[in-house]
Amino acid sequence: MNDEIHTLSGAYALNALPLRELGEFEGHLSRCETCTIEVRGLQETTARLGVAVAEAPPRALKSRVMAQIAEVRQEPPLIEEPPGEPEVVVPLRRRSGRWALALAAVSAAAAVSIGVVAVNEIRSRDASIEETRNLLAAPDAVVRKVEMVGGGSATVVASETYGKVMFTSELPALDASKTYQLWTIGGERIRSAGLVDGGGVRTATVDLPAGTDHFGVTVEPAGGSRQPTTEPVMLAKVV
Amino acid sequence: MGFVNDVVPISVTGRSPELDELLTLVARGDETAFERLYDRLIASVFGLIRRVVRDRAQAEEVAQEVMVEVWRTAARFDPARGSAMSWVMTVAHRRAVDRVRSAQAASDREDRVARMGGEVAYDHVAETVTTRLEGERVRRCLDGLTELQRQAVTMAYYGGYSYPEVAGLLKVPLGTVKTRMRDGLVRLRDCMGVER
Repeated sequence: MNDEIHTLSGAYALNALPLRELGEFEGHLSRCETCTIEVRGLQETTARLGVAVAEAPPRALKSRVMAQIAEVRQEPPLIEEPPGEPEVVVPLRRRSGRWALALAAVSAAAAVSIGVVAVNEIRSRDASIEETRNLLAAPDAVVRKVEMVGGGSATVVASETYGKVMFTSELPALDASKTYQLWTIGGERIRSAGLVDGGGVRTATVDLPAGTDHFGVTVEPAGGSRQPTTEPVMLAKVV
Repeated sequence: MGFVNDVVPISVTGRSPELDELLTLVARGDETAFERLYDRLIASVFGLIRRVVRDRAQAEEVAQEVMVEVWRTAARFDPARGSAMSWVMTVAHRRAVDRVRSAQAASDREDRVARMGGEVAYDHVAETVTTRLEGERVRRCLDGLTELQRQAVTMAYYGGYSYPEVAGLLKVPLGTVKTRMRDGLVRLRDCMGVER
C-alpha cells in the first residue's frame, strides 16, 4: 500500500479531493481492499455528521420530488460478469476492413474469446458527467477524437487506472431492427460493453477491462450480438 | 420548526436494516418505499445540503436533485458495501459540494470566510447540533478531536472546501491537512461506534 495515497482516505470521505487526485485515488481504491474498507467506515462516519445537522425542508419539496420521480426512468441494475463463468471461444472470421486491420495489429492470433455479453443500457447524461469528470482527472487518461464511418466524429476517453472508457458521438438513427453495440478489445478478446440507440448525441461510460487496447462500435441486430458481425463504424486505440 | 413535524429522526449510531431494505425496494421501482425513505431521510439530506450551500432556495433545489438521483440510481446501492443512510448522504454531500465549487460560489465563500474567520463555521454547527438528541453524541465526539482535526473535518464537510482550500485557509501544509482529516475521522468513527 502506498502510504502517501493512503492518507487521502479521509479527504476522500469528506469529498475534499481536487479532481486530479480524485481520479487517482478512485483508481487506487479499485485495487486496494484495505483502503476500500477504511473508506466505507469513514463514509459511515461523515454521514452521521450530516444527520447531526438535520433540518426539516418545506413540505412542498416532497410533492415536487414525488411528481418528478413519476417521470424519471430508473437505471437498470448493473449486470456483472459472474466470475469463473466459462467463456465461449469463437474464431474471428478474417475481415478486410478496419476491424481486422486494427485487430491484426493487436494480435496475430485470430481467435476471439467472448465473455458473457453484459448488455447495459447506457447511463443517463447526469450520471456520465460525474464519471467523465473522474475519468478526465485520471493521471493516465487517453483522449482521442476519431472519424466515424459515414461522417462525423467521436470522442473516446479512457483510463486504465480508473477502469472506464467514455464514448460520445452523434449517432444517426437506426431502424428498429438494429442497434449500436460497444466493444472493448484487448489482445485476443472482444467483449460487449453494451447497446446504445441512435438518433442524437449519445454518451456512454463503460467499464474498461484490464488489458483493453481498443474500443469499437458496430451496428448489430436489435438485442445485440455476442461478437461483432459487421465492420466497425468507429474504432479507437485506448492505450 | 415551521414546516413539517412528521419527519422521523433517525439514530446517529447503528445501522438501520429497515432503511437498507427500503432502498433495495426503491431500486425495484417501489414508489411507496421511496416515499417512506424520503420521510426518513429528507431532514438529514436537506440539513446537510443547507449547511453546505447555505442559501435556502438553492438547498431545496439540490435536495430535490439528490432525492431524484436516489430514485434513479438506487440499483447501484449494494448493502454489502455500506448502509443506505451512508449511500444517500454521500450522494447528498457530493451534490452539495458540486454546487458550491462552481467558480462564482468559490469567490463568495472566500469573501464569507474572510469575514467570518475560521472558528465561526464550527460554532454555528455546534449550535444546531445541540438542538438534537442524536446530535449530542456527534458534538461530544467532535469535541474529542484536536483543534486542527476538528477544523479540517468540519471545514471540508460542512463548508464544502477541498483539502488544499482548507490548508490555505488554516495556513498549514497540505500534508498536515490530509493527515488531520484522516485521523480526525478515524477518531470520530471510533467515538461514534460506527460499524465497520
